[in-house]
Amino acid sequence: MALNFKQETFRDDYTYKNSEEAIKRFPFPFPEDQYMYSVNIEPHTKGKPGSVYEFPFDVDEHYVAECKDRAITLEQDAGRYQALPHMMDAQWDFLELTMESLANDYPEHFTLTKNGSSWTWENRPLGIHDTFTFGDSSTLPREPLDYMGRQVQGDFVLLDQRDETLYADAGMVTCQADWSLAFNVGMSWREWHGPVPRATELGVMDRALKFLLNLQLANPVRRLNWTMTVNPRLDTSPENYPYWGGDRNKVNAENVSDLIHLRVELQSLFRLPRSNAIVFSIRCYLISLKDIATYPRWAKRLYRVQKTMHPDLIEYKGMTKFHPLVVEWLSQFEDGADLGIGTQPE
Amino acid sequence: MERGYWIKSKPVYTSLVWHEKATSHLVLAAGIGGMAALKLFQQMHPAQPVTVLYAKYAQMEVDYSATLKKIVPDNLHVFKFEEDLLTELKSIMPHMRMGLRIYVAGSEGFIWDVAKVVKPFGVENDHIMKELTDTLARSVYCVHCKAITRNVTTNIVQCCGCERMLFVRDHFSRNLGAYMGLMVDAESPGELPAIEEIYP
Repeated sequence: MALNFKQETFRDDYTYKNSEEAIKRFPFPFPEDQYMYSVNIEPHTKGKPGSVYEFPFDVDEHYVAECKDRAITLEQDAGRYQALPHMMDAQWDFLELTMESLANDYPEHFTLTKNGSSWTWENRPLGIHDTFTFGDSSTLPREPLDYMGRQVQGDFVLLDQRDETLYADAGMVTCQADWSLAFNVGMSWREWHGPVPRATELGVMDRALKFLLNLQLANPVRRLNWTMTVNPRLDTSPENYPYWGGDRNKVNAENVSDLIHLRVELQSLFRLPRSNAIVFSIRCYLISLKDIATYPRWAKRLYRVQKTMHPDLIEYKGMTKFHPLVVEWLSQFEDGADLGIGTQPE
Repeated sequence: MERGYWIKSKPVYTSLVWHEKATSHLVLAAGIGGMAALKLFQQMHPAQPVTVLYAKYAQMEVDYSATLKKIVPDNLHVFKFEEDLLTELKSIMPHMRMGLRIYVAGSEGFIWDVAKVVKPFGVENDHIMKELTDTLARSVYCVHCKAITRNVTTNIVQCCGCERMLFVRDHFSRNLGAYMGLMVDAESPGELPAIEEIYP
């Protein structure tokens, strides 16, 4: 598969756009007409060719532009990368997992050559070619997570497992839906999920934790999460809230289908071999309402889900201001048809 | 505040109780926290060595040093301010041995200042016994400029670093010893909700 990497932006003039193929493979997250939090975890197994689930780490047409956007964010705020000192083994685990996956799944773009512990990494789309000693940080331009985190789409958190829980002890987070790694680093599972409404009461978080503590090597898992964002902006961080929060006031009935983007996170979790830590990968996919509506099945489904959303969740996801406009715009597609179960576009 | 006074990520602070299996004890108290230290000695006077550091002036000016002096005459160190106590703590930590137990009583800000000082010496915060006294005031970490504003009793506060007005989210970070502060009027500049004292 030859990927055609786009030149586009996720800030200022927002030139980000999905191609027809990208729309068709979009990970639409609503299999039913209603939505509530659940432990919707499934095995992260190989999906259909061309789908976002084909490989452990999906590389798509936005790869180069996303890596560029991440570099800008890190340049402005080095605190988006955090690693507590005891996480170095997990960092090397992460580097190995991502390099091997990319080289194996996208050989036309990435090559990993191993000569004992001397490894050579080529990333052709980004023009990177480095030889280093595996396990020796001084031979890499940056710490392993900092180095490879910049070369894979999505945010990454490394979770250390001890005391029967998981601690967010390292990460690179630049395309997050309003949470701060600098604030959360070092937190236990229960602490960092504290602000999520209703989930704790439903017991969802405890069940998910129990499941993840038993996550096995070579059997990664995944789930989808979602929210909505004004503009195709990756960096909707609390850190930069003063710069993007005001965009919520710009939405009106005329521009709602261009400005509002469904933001879907493909979250996947991998057990790591040496450190026994877990990689929590949070890959963000953005699509405008207008592009969703190119598939009427999706538009109808989205309408029904949004119309019946719990107000606490609308508030938590930061959608209060523009949510009625979204529902109103989507209502034009409703025809009462039975959509059945499933997330397929047609 | 919607869900009442409960903050899910706020650590649970209990009353101080001696760990009988310790090889030595270090008690750190500020202001009214001195009372928590006195209560410890009412439980018993441990057989192992005990050191007490006490700062007289915390949020409220209550001084228990005279009583403490009678109870721990040899190993009591009294300071005027919390900062002086923390400086002394930093200088004595290298001399402490395995088996040491640490007890802290004071404001939340003081408790987590102590946790920060002892962490480089290998003391995890789970191994520090903590009692919240003095005040419910919070330290607030500005997520924008990263400054920490201390002793905040209100729902909204002006950042001591960037001077933005911050809404204090009910979300606590042990690593920073502070709650998250987020610009309150980013979406509608100048429009502030009512400022209320909720954590006196």
